[in-house]
Amino acid sequence: MQGESVSENDGIELYTDELDPTFVNSRREACIIFGAWLAALCWCIPYCYLNGYNVTDPENISITFGMPSWVVWGIAIPWIVADVFTVWFCFFYMKNDDLGVSPEELVASKVEGNK
Amino acid sequence: MQSPELILFAAGSNAALITFLLYTLAVFGIAVFSNQMLKGKSFLSEYFLGSRGLGVWAFALTFAATSASGGSFTGFPSKIYAHGWVLALWIGAYVVVPICTMGLLGKRINQVARISGSITVPDVLRDRFDSARFGLMAVVLIVFFMVFNLVAQFKAGAMILKTLLSDVDIFHRSAEFFYTVMEPWSFLGTDSEYLICLLAFGIAVIIYTTYGGFHAVVWTDVMQGIVMVVGVLIMLPLAIMMVNDLAAKDDSNDVSGMAYVTQEMSRLVPPVPTEAQLQISSPSNTGRLISAGTWIATVGDNGTPRLFRTGNDVEIGSGQRITTAEVPVEMIELVNASDIKQILGNPDIYTIVDDLQLVGATQNPYKYGGSPEHQGTYVTGPGPSPDSDIGFLPLSLAFSFFFMWAISGAGQPSSHVRLMAFKNTDTLKKAIFTVAIYYTLIYFPLVMIFCCGRLLMPGMEMESDRVMPAMAVFLTEGIGMGWLAGLLVAAPFAAVMSTVDSFLLMISSAIVRDIYQRNINPNASEAKIKKMTYAVTVIVGTAAMLGAVNPPQFLQDIIVYTGSGLAACFLAPTVFMLYWPRSNKHGCMIGMLCGFAAHFSMYFLGVFTNGSFFKPHRFIDMDPIIVGLFVSFLATYVGCLISPPPPQQLVKKYFYKRKELQKT
Repeated sequence: MQGESVSENDGIELYTDELDPTFVNSRREACIIFGAWLAALCWCIPYCYLNGYNVTDPENISITFGMPSWVVWGIAIPWIVADVFTVWFCFFYMKNDDLGVSPEELVASKVEGNK
Repeated sequence: MQSPELILFAAGSNAALITFLLYTLAVFGIAVFSNQMLKGKSFLSEYFLGSRGLGVWAFALTFAATSASGGSFTGFPSKIYAHGWVLALWIGAYVVVPICTMGLLGKRINQVARISGSITVPDVLRDRFDSARFGLMAVVLIVFFMVFNLVAQFKAGAMILKTLLSDVDIFHRSAEFFYTVMEPWSFLGTDSEYLICLLAFGIAVIIYTTYGGFHAVVWTDVMQGIVMVVGVLIMLPLAIMMVNDLAAKDDSNDVSGMAYVTQEMSRLVPPVPTEAQLQISSPSNTGRLISAGTWIATVGDNGTPRLFRTGNDVEIGSGQRITTAEVPVEMIELVNASDIKQILGNPDIYTIVDDLQLVGATQNPYKYGGSPEHQGTYVTGPGPSPDSDIGFLPLSLAFSFFFMWAISGAGQPSSHVRLMAFKNTDTLKKAIFTVAIYYTLIYFPLVMIFCCGRLLMPGMEMESDRVMPAMAVFLTEGIGMGWLAGLLVAAPFAAVMSTVDSFLLMISSAIVRDIYQRNINPNASEAKIKKMTYAVTVIVGTAAMLGAVNPPQFLQDIIVYTGSGLAACFLAPTVFMLYWPRSNKHGCMIGMLCGFAAHFSMYFLGVFTNGSFFKPHRFIDMDPIIVGLFVSFLATYVGCLISPPPPQQLVKKYFYKRKELQKT
């Protein structure tokens, strides 16, 4: 299988001037995801650094749920928040785009149709 | 409570052997089933990409298991044990790793691969830019990095198997026999146990990967993924239960569970690395072997007990007078009163040697964490470090790792292949959610488990890579369920196996599809391609296995170098290729080469600044991956802008809506 060679089979006339919706949606979703990573970075590292480094009295370190508080508020809680965000993103934001049909899927469907 | 080493011995660990055998049988069964699926379908597409038909569970777990690798279950627990709670920040980027690594590129790369009919990563690059040269460049880089990585992963697999079988009697007897067989061939080395494990591991992986192809790899990944998460979920409550037992015996503390762990860890001080010659004070007619892991008790100047643990074997010769070993032994000295009390207070469990003296001892305390001003180093950042005076995880490295796990993780070709294989968008959405929950259930609990491990099993710093299997056996024996250890210790083995099979298939696909079929013989028949695929997979696997007979020394360093190097080469071109219509082959090729060069130069500079290629130069204390990615993104962007725009047909094909679609 060689795939479709652009110069051989496809011409510009086969396409509209409208951007492909899957591309547009993917790009928008990628921007949101990058923003989520940036938000996680901006919370986790500064919070852990300010509260978990240079602790003056580590023997009496503040403990939450049995763990150092800076771990809980800097990592564990954001982890849960990130999971909630993932649920929202996947099930309420991300579009159900058409990914197209690959050449081998096309062949398989033709074979199926001929039977 | 029993010592880990005693338990490992007492358990006989036949459970580990049985687990390994059952495991191998199961993966072979999956391979046979997968081979049946190849019939009646396009061979290459099915063999290398599963005909783009992966459902939620298969896609999610193969993605998670391949990304996890052996490091998650050997290196990561070892680091938690050695450096404490700061590992939660080290792994912190995993809060967004699933959504980043799958969501950033997933939908779009799957679409582009379908439009072009691509089966492999070089295929996508080649077709997207209609450039055979770009495809070949990608093949060369993938093969270069993956071959080194594969050799290192084979070694990791063999080492883990050796650890798992370390107390199986038949394994030792086979190794003794094998030693006599391999003696004439010096290139095979002298470690017959390692060689047996390498052969067992290597042959099993090569056979099932070759025979079953992508589906075998995926479904074994699913099985391995389940083993990993079940192992962790069983270990967590057991670890807390054992800690509660320990807390109940401690009158000085009225808390239990994780709070007890954290409080006790806040008082811990890292052990002191020590080198000394051992001397027997009583005359002996026979020589004496002091094996690695032996506890040695002596008395300090002020009469207080001192406790050491050896890190390597040493033989003390025979003699009628005081005898001293010729070779110094590496040890650690435990300095925490609670650790010393725990070991010395249980002489019936821990074997303590007290007739040895230390001669000419030199001690090198931890550069960070070993002095009083760094007290509480196990519960605060940057964590103790034996060789860095800025600690284990300074701020710059914490930032680097946040970048590395989430962003460079999205640039791994092995992940891209999986992203090309899922069925539809709905599968992707559910899989991202599944992997997010999966990682939540694995990584943070691992931090908790091995912080418990630091209290439950003191003195394992010199063999911390064994902490995972040791902990598994320790916990299950503690509740009288030694058989369960077999399942738990299978987790790291499963992790490394799932990585090796994926990499093996990637190299094989690069050679057969991208070099042979697309450049040498485009009209090759399917039968010929099939034979060639099987042959190449076997040859590559065997070559990597032979490479691991005398493996390179820097195992983990090679894995880090190749993983970050692949990201430095592939992430920027892939992102621009997918999301920027103005991107072209010139810019993306320049970006790929510059990423490679920038990343490599940091390692090369390390030879001059730090004395080793694998101690890379850290520009403003950042990991080389940051430099590599920055240069690669910049070079791709500038390269695209200064070179001619891409052909309009390509832009239309990959970024615009087809007219036919409007009709339907």
